[in-house]
Amino acid sequence: MYEFITGFMFWLALGVCLIGMAVRTILYFKGLRWNLDRVAYRAYPARGFKGAIRSIYKWILPFGTHGWRKQPFMAVLFFSFHIGAVFVPLFLLAHNLFLKEKLGFSLITINGGVADFLSWLVIITLILIILRRLALPEVRILTNWYDYLIILISAAPFITGLLARYEVGNYSFWLLAHIISGEILLFAIPFTKLSHIFLFFASRAQLGMDYGIKRGGLRGTVMDW
Amino acid sequence: MPEGIFCNKKPIETQEELTALLGDTSGTQYYKEMKELDIDTKLLWTTIQNTCKSRIRTWLEICAHCGMCADSCFLYLVNDRDPKQVPAYKIQSTLGEIVKRKGNVDNEFMRMAMETAWAKCTCCNRCGIYCPHGIDVGIMFGYLRGLLYQQGFVPWELKIGAGMHRVYRAQMDVSEEEFVETFQWMVEENEEEYPGLTVPVDVENADIMYTVNAREVKHYPEDLAEAAILFHAAGENWTITSKGWEQTSLAMFAGDWAACKMQVENVYAAMERLKPKRMVGTECGHAHRATVVEGPYWAGRQDGRPPVECIHYIEWLAEALREGKLKIDPERRIKVPVTLQDSCNYVRNHGLREVAREILSYIVEPGYYREMSPNREHNFCCGGGGGFNGIGLFRPQRNKGLITKRDQILATGAELVIAPCHNCWDAIRDLEEEFEIGIKWSFLKPLVVSMLELPDHMKPEE
Amino acid sequence: MFKKILFATSATEASDHAARVAFNMAGTLGATLNIFHVLGVPTRGFSQVVLDVKTKEEVAVDGEYISWVEEEIKNYYANQLANCANCSIKASVGVPHREILRQAREIEPDLIVLGGTTGSEEDSVYKASTGSTLQRVAKASPCPILAVNRPAASFWGGLSNIVFGTDFSKASDKAFEFAFKMATSLNGELHIFHALDITPKNMGMSMPQDEIDHKIREAYKMIRSKYISKMKDFKNYSMNVWEGIPYVEIVKYTREKQADLIIMAHNSRKLDADGPKIGSNMEQVIMRANCPVISVNR
Ligand code: SF4
Ligand code: SF4
Ligand code: SF4
Repeated sequence: MYEFITGFMFWLALGVCLIGMAVRTILYFKGLRWNLDRVAYRAYPARGFKGAIRSIYKWILPFGTHGWRKQPFMAVLFFSFHIGAVFVPLFLLAHNLFLKEKLGFSLITINGGVADFLSWLVIITLILIILRRLALPEVRILTNWYDYLIILISAAPFITGLLARYEVGNYSFWLLAHIISGEILLFAIPFTKLSHIFLFFASRAQLGMDYGIKRGGLRGTVMDW
Repeated sequence: MPEGIFCNKKPIETQEELTALLGDTSGTQYYKEMKELDIDTKLLWTTIQNTCKSRIRTWLEICAHCGMCADSCFLYLVNDRDPKQVPAYKIQSTLGEIVKRKGNVDNEFMRMAMETAWAKCTCCNRCGIYCPHGIDVGIMFGYLRGLLYQQGFVPWELKIGAGMHRVYRAQMDVSEEEFVETFQWMVEENEEEYPGLTVPVDVENADIMYTVNAREVKHYPEDLAEAAILFHAAGENWTITSKGWEQTSLAMFAGDWAACKMQVENVYAAMERLKPKRMVGTECGHAHRATVVEGPYWAGRQDGRPPVECIHYIEWLAEALREGKLKIDPERRIKVPVTLQDSCNYVRNHGLREVAREILSYIVEPGYYREMSPNREHNFCCGGGGGFNGIGLFRPQRNKGLITKRDQILATGAELVIAPCHNCWDAIRDLEEEFEIGIKWSFLKPLVVSMLELPDHMKPEE
Repeated sequence: MFKKILFATSATEASDHAARVAFNMAGTLGATLNIFHVLGVPTRGFSQVVLDVKTKEEVAVDGEYISWVEEEIKNYYANQLANCANCSIKASVGVPHREILRQAREIEPDLIVLGGTTGSEEDSVYKASTGSTLQRVAKASPCPILAVNRPAASFWGGLSNIVFGTDFSKASDKAFEFAFKMATSLNGELHIFHALDITPKNMGMSMPQDEIDHKIREAYKMIRSKYISKMKDFKNYSMNVWEGIPYVEIVKYTREKQADLIIMAHNSRKLDADGPKIGSNMEQVIMRANCPVISVNR
């Protein structure tokens, strides 16, 4: 069982996720139409590129945009959650040992204390995000079961991971649950809203190109995001 | 009854159809027929498959439902933060649903979508710059309008407006002759005061070809006179064109893409015929957007540029003042608190954010200028954009939409609002009518004309 | 002298006195009268909807509505129209001064008679353009315009006793030509009048009487050389120069002469941003005079 899950299933999940997202990202850019979108992407590649990079960069900078500054509470939630959600899975020591064993290489790692802290941060911010969804009418109206499912899929690996980490009850059960939920997450990425992990960059790049080319870029105006 | 006499899927093509539709006062019959109008779901779905590509599909899919766009939309703010006015909700519940249901929607749904597309969004694109994913709901509403137009669900005035462009290549029933005639009339009316004033018609290779908004010809021809005076005073080598003089496009508001193409190609043909160095358009926001920003794409120009360099009136004016072609009498500069309305159509959507400010630095006595907050590309829509101003059915919603601008203006303490955009100008005028806050509003032309220092040879003999 | 008169009217009480003058004049002079009414000001952006100036309601204008309004006007002036051989009616839509000028350009009248506006021009629909309708029409009109403000001014006898008020400007020369032509062709009297402006804002704090006297003598000289010399054997005239506030003096003078028409030039090129509130000299005269006022600008 464990073998299968960490072996075949792991490979499959990782493969589906990476290939799936590669395909989706390629399809995204292939699906951009200069005439339908009314942006001359091809005519001005350099400007488009610059615009795209700026649009991404400004938005991944905490408080880098008017939007973030306007909503500081949301900005703090957003960045806390995403820092945890990106750093822990990628740089946790245990994950990298696993990676080394499987793939023969590993990434840099973060120390255990930080990883704990970030994991808790993810859980707490997710709770706050759920509360925000329930509390604010403008968010409540947008929310449906699918949003909660996505939250659940993203939260599960962290919850199970922490339970395993603190050895609450049966360690190997939680570890297994952790791996399975992690693989579910990987599977889900290309097929759900979680695709935003990649498509966020694609979509931001697109609007960045729009502003970088058509909406002022060609005149030399640098968008004040 | 599927297709109505007035309300149907067929665009207006002839003058007779236009007159007939106009005769249906306030669209009473039109809207009645709309309730019966069938939806061609197959056509709708094929259109979506052919035109709804990765950009919009991805936007619809990855929207995080985070609600960060809510506060960015003025219509959400003025409608007591009604959750139904959240941009993401508005588009998900309309375009999102149509796509989800593969076009299988009913009449009631389409009428709801029409109200949402024209009365709950002005396509000001402000929300797009506040969404972390870069989801521009305004663009999607523009797209949705196209689908609704195809199915015949479009406000009466805009069906007429698009029809005007199809029949007259102008947003109002103004013919080519009337345009030239009116311009000449205005020159005659002013030539005594400005000796040598002329209006060159169809001159080839001029430095400037000037295009206008048909409303100026129809109702406010003073604007034409002022344009002529300023070109004259600046010593410009300019011309108007008897064909292709209309810069605006109500077809854009209506979502009638075919008419957009016809309209803009007419203007481009004039450019190709007269070969001016540049085209200068009047003080209009959506006209600039239609002819300069979006037009090249409708006309299929891959470089996204019109045939010759096109600039907005404020760009020309700023240049003329900067280079000293026009001189301002410092005594006559504006000496009342004054503010500026940044038009979404060329500020947010074409980056002209500092140009008008430069002009104001020449014509306003230092210390009298007040910025609106927010401003530049973050400014709110005037409240009447995207066709909202002209739609009778949605008048109450529009009037409510003016509140944002009213409060922004009040907060500046300005007595005069400069609005170099026809639509914004209208909205601010209506705002004064509606709320009587005691402001004046103006285009730039009359202000500059009134403070011009004329070179001696241009002064009237006395 | 006047073959074609354009009467721009609100078709309400506000224009009744102007109507009296217009119909009278057309009758006595055998002129054609074109009754012109701007029924609505465009509103709602690009749409066809206008604000009905009478009812203050928004209406969608089409051919039918216009004919209906024309019918209304016909009824309103039914009595006068019964005796008017050459009268036509036209209603139109737009900004009033512009449409009046447009109509004038089309039919080329010899005189425009301007009625009053319904309600206040302070309404924001009018605020779009600087200056009052009167000012704007007066500025650009291709022909003289006649305005009557006070009801009393319209109970008017004839056209034979004319006061010509001058400020010696170029426009005044034109106004003189017109006044003289009118006086000769109608066989009337012509009173040439100049008011020396001694309001402090014009002349510094206060003028010594010697200086006033001197200026008055000069003004007489001007009148002689500029106008009297051109009148050849026309004898039925008088001339006077008074000092004071010009518009008050000319009104007083007209009363004294029992004149039935004032003719003066419309000089101000610049339009008053504050509209009728302050107004030009001419508008002040119109507001106060006991008879109709004709303004000439070219
Ligand atoms: S801000 Fe963007 S992602 Fe968030 S709800 Fe609005 S459109 Fe969706
Ligand atoms: S485009 Fe403007 S009006 Fe439309 S939803 Fe966005 S912010 Fe609101
Ligand atoms: S009318 Fe002016 S402010 Fe309003 S949407 Fe258009 S450009 Fe923007």
